[in-house]
Amino acid sequence: MMDDLLLTPFDRTLLHGIGKVVPLSEREEWSRAWQAELWHVHHRGTDQRMRRVAATSDLAVGILRDALWLRTESWRRSFGGTATLCLASLLGMSVLSTLFALLLGGGWRQLGLYMTGDFKRTICAAPLVIFVAFATASRRHMEPVSTARSIYRFRRLLFFVAKIAQVLLLAFLLSADLCLPLFASMPSTAEISQVFVFVAFALLGMRWAFRDQEERCKECLQSLTTPARVGRPSHNLLEWNGTELSCKRGHGRLSVPEIETSWCQSSQWRAASGTWDRVSIL
Amino acid sequence: MNAPRLSHSAALILKALSLGYCFGLDVMEVTGLPSGTVYPALRRLERDELVESKWEPEEEATAKQRPARRYYQVTHEGKVAAQAATERYPLLAQFGVRKRS
Repeated sequence: MMDDLLLTPFDRTLLHGIGKVVPLSEREEWSRAWQAELWHVHHRGTDQRMRRVAATSDLAVGILRDALWLRTESWRRSFGGTATLCLASLLGMSVLSTLFALLLGGGWRQLGLYMTGDFKRTICAAPLVIFVAFATASRRHMEPVSTARSIYRFRRLLFFVAKIAQVLLLAFLLSADLCLPLFASMPSTAEISQVFVFVAFALLGMRWAFRDQEERCKECLQSLTTPARVGRPSHNLLEWNGTELSCKRGHGRLSVPEIETSWCQSSQWRAASGTWDRVSIL
Repeated sequence: MNAPRLSHSAALILKALSLGYCFGLDVMEVTGLPSGTVYPALRRLERDELVESKWEPEEEATAKQRPARRYYQVTHEGKVAAQAATERYPLLAQFGVRKRS
């Protein structure tokens, strides 16, 4: 293999600097590929130095974007669909919403005055929203997984509570953002509207939280993927039909019935290990 | 099989690859796209299994006194996607000439 002595000092510095962005496992191959590309830029038969410099600077953008792509792809593979990403996204949206409210309010002091009243009303409305959300949620979302180990149950519960808390906080901040412009001219209308908007956002958020909770692996809390239709709706009286989702780490699969019937009211989680144990007995 | 929908740039790059321009620099030259578009697009196409990348044999490169390069080839799925892209973007059919090997 040709070594990097064939490159100019600028090329070496460029690759060395940008290479730190690339995940460690892919860095060597990335560096080798770009060394070859840069070598070819310098040896393409053109004598014009300026053209070579222009080509190298254009390639520098490609080197950087290629490195960033590898880094984001690595993050996507590691964090895509995880509980951490879900909570971090909700937190990020809450921070953005707070900054937006700060921008509208004109300062922490004004925002504090406005938010204090809103927060008290929201604290009163939140238990009602939670009660309504649980009462109207489909039963299948709350079906316990009897085979799950208690550590998984505890982690799932912890995640669900954290998610609900963040959803309610986000609903509060969004409702405050929406009604803040009204506050200066019509304070009473703004206060009442804020409560209604909070209730609407919180109910929608809770619905999403229930659905998201159901469509996660019961062990690793990763979002379930590869939905597959099973059975036919026209055969509903004869056989089960619905959608099957599976955990990409192979922990199991979830069968979600299309219609809740007396013989199949809830979605069922089938852990892969249990299935393999039964197969091994056979 | 449903062919994936490609952006115009991705379709152009796929077309260039199918015409025999198999290196990133060659694709940049023939399409006129900047490196910041071509290289990430090649990565995405490879991730979606529309192209595959291989390294030139080391002996061949050493014999020509140059470093071995990474080259790209269109897969079967890529050919289907390129065909669908040509139907979607009719001007692609008029694009370029096959590279002399």
